[in-house]
Amino acid sequence: MSLTRRDFLVASAALAAGATVTAPFLLPKYHSDRRPKRSRVAILDAQQYSERLDQVIAAGLRLFPIDVRGKTVVLKPNLVDYIPGNAINTHPLLVMAAAESFRRLGAKSVVVAEGPGHQRDTQLVLSQSGYEHNLRDEKIRFLDLNRDELIRTPLRANYTGMTNLWLPRTVLEADFLVSMPKIKTHHWSGVTLSMKNMFGVVPGTRYGWPKNILHWKGIQESILDLCATVPIHFVIADGIVAMEGNGPLNGTARPLRKIVLADDPVAADATCARLMGFEPDRVVHLREGSRFLGNASPALIDQVGESVNAPATPFQAVPEFRHLYDL
Amino acid sequence: MVTKPGGSDSDPSSSRRFDNKEISHYKVPTVTTDPIVLSDLLAELALRQLPCGGWAALASSSQPAIEPTCYSALALSSAPVGEIARAQDFLLRTQNPNGSWPVFPGDDQEGGWITSLAVMALRDPASAIPARFKGFDWLLNFAGRESNWFWKWKFRTTDRHVRFDPDKYGWPWFPDTVSWVVPTAFAILALNQIPCSCGDLEQVAARIGCGIEMLFDRACPGGGWNAGNGVVYGAAVAPHADDTAIALLALIDRREHPLVQSAAQYLEHAAPALTAPWSLAWAILALAAHRRPIASLHSSLVALPDLATIEDTSALAVVCLALDQQRALEALRVAP
Repeated sequence: MSLTRRDFLVASAALAAGATVTAPFLLPKYHSDRRPKRSRVAILDAQQYSERLDQVIAAGLRLFPIDVRGKTVVLKPNLVDYIPGNAINTHPLLVMAAAESFRRLGAKSVVVAEGPGHQRDTQLVLSQSGYEHNLRDEKIRFLDLNRDELIRTPLRANYTGMTNLWLPRTVLEADFLVSMPKIKTHHWSGVTLSMKNMFGVVPGTRYGWPKNILHWKGIQESILDLCATVPIHFVIADGIVAMEGNGPLNGTARPLRKIVLADDPVAADATCARLMGFEPDRVVHLREGSRFLGNASPALIDQVGESVNAPATPFQAVPEFRHLYDL
Repeated sequence: MVTKPGGSDSDPSSSRRFDNKEISHYKVPTVTTDPIVLSDLLAELALRQLPCGGWAALASSSQPAIEPTCYSALALSSAPVGEIARAQDFLLRTQNPNGSWPVFPGDDQEGGWITSLAVMALRDPASAIPARFKGFDWLLNFAGRESNWFWKWKFRTTDRHVRFDPDKYGWPWFPDTVSWVVPTAFAILALNQIPCSCGDLEQVAARIGCGIEMLFDRACPGGGWNAGNGVVYGAAVAPHADDTAIALLALIDRREHPLVQSAAQYLEHAAPALTAPWSLAWAILALAAHRRPIASLHSSLVALPDLATIEDTSALAVVCLALDQQRALEALRVAP
């Protein structure tokens, strides 16, 4: 069979057209692979919120080879809204314990920073949820990320189709960013853990309350773009009293009595998901994040402290996310 | 020496702070609460004005932004002419070519909800009339995504976890998202300031009416409003005092509507427990507009600690407006 010049041109054009159409689906959507060779996760027992948490956190941090001497440490809790009786926010005593521990480790400064996504009056959430007096007593600065100075920041992944976001200077200039989520189910994303917690760095003054553009661009996709762009250096997850059901606001308190520390957000969240009785690979942003942001596989995680034991009864989830635990 | 009720007049730092300001310039003739507190806070607000004429969102910031500038311009309207004129010049300089306002100079030029605030802050100068009309025109063409037939269909058929009627739409915070309570309320307040119904502005009444219906549709089951989700996954979501107050201001002409009445009752009940100046100040403004008693709330507001050192400049400005609520309500055109 002979190939004419015409056949060759037609075939080449078809090949080029096919490549143009399929390439976006085949090429990775992230700029760089940030996965460490191995990750470390510590599960700590904590029966209740108390002043003794600083000893628990200090002991937990000693399990990691971290060096924050002379660094600016930003603690990013999950502070959404206050509803009496609902376990919505990272508990202030855990945040104070972390702040104290990082100070003792020689941090140049420790700032607590958050941009609540539901309640516009940040000061009211701080006051009602018990942060205000703790921050004042411990002389810890709080920075409202909804109102910080903003810097246009190119995104380092392309899951949403957005090319950039305006992000707060305090977070971008942090030497050591600690995501401190509350372990909860979430009616839009399945779970809200250290990676979803990064929605709080997206400024309400620029994107509204809630940060609705992230919902329209895809919650799972937005989590991936954000975590690729703003690296989380460490995770301290509050699972002493977690939340199940219709989270993040109206779920039911679920005592887990655990704190999860990790040097890798994907490893942290995969471990939290297992503690909730969920299969991490079924959480879209964890499955995709394990391709470039961190390690979800137990084979790549050095587990210290307590072992990962799935609960006898998995966390309840809204119907759309029952596949996280159904066989 | 400037002092606060209940505070110490021996605090040297507080007196030094205002030594070089002409406190007497900050006339507050209509104030019904302690005028000394108000002049103290207005002086602090004036000190925070940046050389460009605008204000930053936080006291520690130097990045000017439209929202705090608008509240500050409204609060300082009794200030020396030069300062308010610089604020108005800043707003006129920062308007986008399409008639909207950005969040801050240098922002993308697609505009957002702060356009409503800007046209209200520019209500006085004749030189701002063309800019205001461009702003009004932009607002009239700015709508929540659910105003489009495709998204209406989606919200009716496949995406029904948040209870709302997509036929009733208002204004979003920013383009390409759905309507929310606060931007809708501010847009209604702004469009109610259009001096005439002429030219392309004929649709004003219809848009305001649709926005009001949207607010009623998004009310929380127990009264009041939050960001705009009254019921999610079958669960009632709690109202917020500030969102409720701002919606109540926009609904001043529907004072007798049952949803407005229940929202005002919720706010009356919630306000005494508010411990943050932003929410308490908005509650005072809304309850005053709805002819509810506010004297004890005024006392609570001035008793909050460290008002002059509030980091959030918008909150400081709204506190000033609440302490001078008659003039503030006139500026918003909602005076009872």
